[in-house]
Amino acid sequence: MTAPRFALLALLAFVLAAAPGCGPDEEPIPVDMSRREEPAPAAPKRGLTYAYLPQYAHAVSYQRHRLLVEYLSKAVGMPIRQVFPDTFDEHVKMVARGEIDISFSNPFVYLRLAEHGARAFARIVEPSGKPAFRGQIIVRRDDPAIRSVADCRGKRWMAVDPSSAGGYLFALGEFYDHGLREEDFGAIGFAPGPGGKQEKVVLAVYSGTWDVGSIREGALALLADRIDLDRIRILAETRAYPSWVYAARPGLDPEVVRKVSQAMFALSVNRPDDAVILQSANIRGLIPATDADYDSVRELAKKLGLTPETIQ
Amino acid sequence: MRPRILARLSFRAKITLGIAALLLGCAAPSIWLASNMAALELMDEIKARGAVLAENLASRVTDSMLADDLLRLKNMADEIAAVDDINYAFIMDAEGRVLASSFTGGFPVELIGVNAAPQKGPPSVRLLNASGEFIYDFAAPVVIAGTHFGQVRLGLSRSRHQARIDRLTAAMAGVAGAALLLAVGAGMLFARRVTRRINALREHAEEVVKGNLDIRAGTHLRKNCWEIMQCGLLNCPAHGDAERRCWRLAGTLCPDCKGKSPRDKTLSCVNCKVYQRNKGDEIQDLTETFDVMSAALSARLSELRDAQGTLASQERLLRVILDATPDHVALLDANLRYLAVNKAYALFLGLPPSAIVGRKDGEFYPPGEAAEREREFAGVLETGRPLSKEAAIRRAGREGWYHVQVGQAPGPRDGSPAVLRTDREITQIKEFREQLIQAQKMEALGKLAGGVAHEINTPLGVILGYAQLLQEDVPEGGQMREDLLAIEKQTLICRDIVADLLKFSRQGEGRRRRVLLDGALREAIGLVERSFALHRINLVYDPGPDDLPVMADPERLKQVWINFLNNARDAVGESGLVSVTARKIAPDKASVTFADTGSGILPEYVEKVFDPFFTTKPVGKGTGLGLAVSYGIIKDYGGELTVQSPAPAGAFAGKEGQGDKPGPGSAFTAILPLSPGGLDEAGTQKDF
Repeated sequence: MTAPRFALLALLAFVLAAAPGCGPDEEPIPVDMSRREEPAPAAPKRGLTYAYLPQYAHAVSYQRHRLLVEYLSKAVGMPIRQVFPDTFDEHVKMVARGEIDISFSNPFVYLRLAEHGARAFARIVEPSGKPAFRGQIIVRRDDPAIRSVADCRGKRWMAVDPSSAGGYLFALGEFYDHGLREEDFGAIGFAPGPGGKQEKVVLAVYSGTWDVGSIREGALALLADRIDLDRIRILAETRAYPSWVYAARPGLDPEVVRKVSQAMFALSVNRPDDAVILQSANIRGLIPATDADYDSVRELAKKLGLTPETIQ
Repeated sequence: MRPRILARLSFRAKITLGIAALLLGCAAPSIWLASNMAALELMDEIKARGAVLAENLASRVTDSMLADDLLRLKNMADEIAAVDDINYAFIMDAEGRVLASSFTGGFPVELIGVNAAPQKGPPSVRLLNASGEFIYDFAAPVVIAGTHFGQVRLGLSRSRHQARIDRLTAAMAGVAGAALLLAVGAGMLFARRVTRRINALREHAEEVVKGNLDIRAGTHLRKNCWEIMQCGLLNCPAHGDAERRCWRLAGTLCPDCKGKSPRDKTLSCVNCKVYQRNKGDEIQDLTETFDVMSAALSARLSELRDAQGTLASQERLLRVILDATPDHVALLDANLRYLAVNKAYALFLGLPPSAIVGRKDGEFYPPGEAAEREREFAGVLETGRPLSKEAAIRRAGREGWYHVQVGQAPGPRDGSPAVLRTDREITQIKEFREQLIQAQKMEALGKLAGGVAHEINTPLGVILGYAQLLQEDVPEGGQMREDLLAIEKQTLICRDIVADLLKFSRQGEGRRRRVLLDGALREAIGLVERSFALHRINLVYDPGPDDLPVMADPERLKQVWINFLNNARDAVGESGLVSVTARKIAPDKASVTFADTGSGILPEYVEKVFDPFFTTKPVGKGTGLGLAVSYGIIKDYGGELTVQSPAPAGAFAGKEGQGDKPGPGSAFTAILPLSPGGLDEAGTQKDF
């Protein structure tokens, strides 16, 4: 073989070796797409239904309450499954229709549920350790124009959500008490969703985009290591209102309610296993509740002119 | 076979084919490689995209799955399946039931089992062959809070992407093909440009082969050095030459390269702007070198022609000299074959020179003579000593004397020794030489005879005196008286002999004057007339129409004529004719001829008749000195004396009385120079 021919062959070999993926292709799996069947209808699901007011995405709701639901199911001795209504309204309606046996909701939604015959049987202990929570009105510390709640007149207010208890309604009640109505503000805005709405309000005030913000008690701590909290001043705190509530749908077997309540109350943050369940659900504990515990909320709603229909 | 086909192709076709092959060789693997790489990249991209889509769908379906919202699940499956390259999408729960799918009209159940999502992590990918269409099936797990909730499945058409890749490859091939066509076109133009110049060079080479050396193949320069440099050096050899570049010329006057050879110039001119502008390529170099070569060839050829012409003229000159010389010249090689002969020798042998060259003496000479000649040549070749001799050579019935010279000469071809033989004819020289010897002998004899006669004359006179005195003492009629008379008679004969001897010895003597030939002739004729008549010899004198004056001693002239007449009478004997004719044969020459009808002279004696003491007469009848004396006198007067025997045919024309038995006869002719001017009246009159 002459040298040029050898060189040519070497070049060809190099090119072939350098070409990646030129080897045998992956083996395809034959599939007959024409063989078709209609899928069998799903069997109806059984057991108690448990729903968490859709404050967050379903997955978050699921994640937070999965362990609690599993615990309750075991403790009660009957299957309990979590269901996920898409809206507050649907949540209320599903309770009314009997599709949700055990509802976990905020106090304002509970007022609506109560209207449909649901009854509170337990409420949570906040991470703060109290079975109640407040709203906070925040401004920038260096804002010279706002020294008191009354100074908020004509200012721009950002709240968490129109249906948010701690983030809006509690603060609105406070403003009402100080003689300020919605129309007295320069503007009222709500944090854009979804998720992180409390933080967004803080950041809106912090950056000076909005003059006044209203948040749930404890929300500032979420941003403790991300912004300089010294630049935020808590202008006022609302009175404390009872915390989130568990209610049983109308017509649910009281024995079941009793068993569930018992299991709930048996949870103790001091037991490691229970602590995992409680921390996962972001609660410190569960205590008994009655419908009367929420009268303060009923008063606030009345003051604000909210009817069960207008509470979102 | 393949190389022969290649060899038959034209250079232009080779270049074009070469470019095409090169481009094809580069483009085809490149396209193949690029399309493969693109396909691979695209497939990776498709897989990544499919995985992302599946994962995305898996994360989006969680809420709907939790909410058992089958409509939203169906919507999501339909939405994603509406994307161009997505064939299908469906969602299964943890139990493997299909919650929603983009399929209508039943669900292809085989799909369920061909792929399964892992519990967590990236989606599982399988390649499916759905009746010829290749589909990547992605199975992504739906995980909520660490719990496996089911899976989403997504079918992404590989075939559609393969079609895109194929289109891309086709486009690339198309572009490459167009580029190839362009390149081949450009290559053809390039090849045409190159081959046109090479062909021009070839045509010029053919012209050179045909002998046309004056053509120039070099390209015409748009601007040469004198235009670029603006040097204004009109007497520079490069000035005005638009065909040759200046660094190829010797003796240019450019200050930058003056005095440098073309080789040095090429090195130093690299930075010159003329060089940079006109440097051209290798073909131009070749063309110019070719021009230089043909010009040099032309010059050499012309020099060669001149040299050849000179050589030819010199050869012609030599040939003329050789052929003009009467000498026989022959050159023989070491084998004694003729290499060359001149015309004289060829004539001598009676053959053309071409018939002699290359042959040996044996073919031209008798065996003995040839052997002798070859022996001589061999001797000269062996010893190197030249040979010189005189030899009598007989050829065509005639013998001639030759001076032969044989010498060694360097051979014209390989330098081996050759033999040069020169034969110069000396027959005449030899005769002259013999005549000279004879004349010298005669002169010596004349002197001797004169001395002897002078010495003898005195005793003869004493003898005659005493004999006559004694006669007076002796009575007549007695024996004594008779004896004395005999002594007297014989003594008188001796005195005649002595007188002749004295005359012979005194040839140069006598006073010369202007005389008419006619007078001397008539006087001599008058003296012998009676004696001729007694012998019945008819003497005819023809004096001719002209006066013929000569400068001579009339007595001696008369003696010459009497000698001729006596000889004629003796030759005729009894009854015959003797004619004497005087003629002016030239403005300054006259001849006198004595012709007789006598016995003539034998051929062998013709040349000896003028020798002293040569006689054919009986003892006592002649002394043998008469013709010798006559010869001496005529020569003394600046004339010539010749003899012819037999006498010329016209000698007796119209003359009667040639006798009873006329012999072959002989004719003696004396030619004498005529004397210019008038006659010496006194001298002539007195003699007559």
